[in-house]
Amino acid sequence: MELLASILENAALAAVAALGFALMFNVPAPVLPYVAAGGALARGLRTLLVAGAGLGGELSTLVAVSILGWVGVWWAQRLRSHPKVFTVAAVIPMVPGVPAYTCLMAVLEISHQGFSTELWGIAVENALKTFLVVAAISVGLAMPGLLHYRDRPIV
Amino acid sequence: MSLVEEAEQRALTRSCAQAARLLMQHGAESALVEVAAKRIGLKLGADSVEIAVMANAIVVSSLLNGHCITTVRRVLDRGINMGILVDVQRIMLDAEDGKIGSREIEARLEALRPFHYNRWLVVLMVGAACAAFARLAGADPAACGLTFVAGAAAMAFRQQLAHWKFNPLLNFCLTAFVATSIAAQAIHFDFGTRTPHIAMASSVLLLVPGVPLINSVADMVKGYVNTGIARLVFAVLLCLGSCLGIALALRVWKVPGWL
Repeated sequence: MELLASILENAALAAVAALGFALMFNVPAPVLPYVAAGGALARGLRTLLVAGAGLGGELSTLVAVSILGWVGVWWAQRLRSHPKVFTVAAVIPMVPGVPAYTCLMAVLEISHQGFSTELWGIAVENALKTFLVVAAISVGLAMPGLLHYRDRPIV
Repeated sequence: MSLVEEAEQRALTRSCAQAARLLMQHGAESALVEVAAKRIGLKLGADSVEIAVMANAIVVSSLLNGHCITTVRRVLDRGINMGILVDVQRIMLDAEDGKIGSREIEARLEALRPFHYNRWLVVLMVGAACAAFARLAGADPAACGLTFVAGAAAMAFRQQLAHWKFNPLLNFCLTAFVATSIAAQAIHFDFGTRTPHIAMASSVLLLVPGVPLINSVADMVKGYVNTGIARLVFAVLLCLGSCLGIALALRVWKVPGWL
């Protein structure tokens, strides 16, 4: 029950965040519901995989975004537009913004205070986390093209 | 080659270049730019279309009856606009379905103007998005409210600087300073929040260059390593600019950072 509540809360908040970014990216109004649904789906699935199945953050992101990638292909063929038009805004709530900033803040701090293994550790850990999650998101979205639509266009 | 044919080839090359430029300027990944330009060119009767995608320019060559026309277009970043991507894609699909001819393709591509949402609506929704991020990170309601105010104010500030054509790096630095300055007040004054640091971290999330980062990896995976590297470097620079703004605000307001 607690897991279900946490999944629903995550999904609802991700839908709000995805809509905010969709407006910033000028996603056309008829496509906005797909952005919200996609954002909720991907983030909800990731919460399920992390909290329910005990998978790591990077792997769950890859699985969740791959599923969104396939759903996106189906929606894209109905909407006659490239899936990235709505899937990119939908996955923005999963982009690791805080780790990215933490990494660079640690680097700035090293230049300010001098080198310490602790700061360098923070920088490297957060850089790796940022890179792996962004790679998982990007490869997940590209999954239909890599596996099925290898030599033909999706739309 | 007859003059008529040459004029036709010129027109189709121009249409390909225009479509590729619009896609590149408004945040499409390189694979989509290349495929769309090729499909439009082939539909308009070219024997083949070759396109070189670079970080801030594109080169398009069309071949027709052994005659080749090559043209270069400068690509200036116009900001992400998914509406333009949809429009270019629909023109391409309509052409392939035989609904529109070459004249109409050219006319529609030339007539495309980016659509923008009302700026205050965007400000409001981006503030809500930042508040949602804060809640996702476990902030209490007061911190979420503070994040909404800081995020919305930062978005309004960012749009104004973009309108005044400030350099994006400088824009991100100043916007991060504004957002952090507002959120940092929770540490000096009691706003009833126990999680002021989450508010500080979440109010700058509107500046994370998510689209360049995702496009960068997508480009590199699909073999467009040069544009991928260019996008990655620019995304990291934008992050660094934001971090300088945050660090400056932390020093000015004498609050501890989140390390």
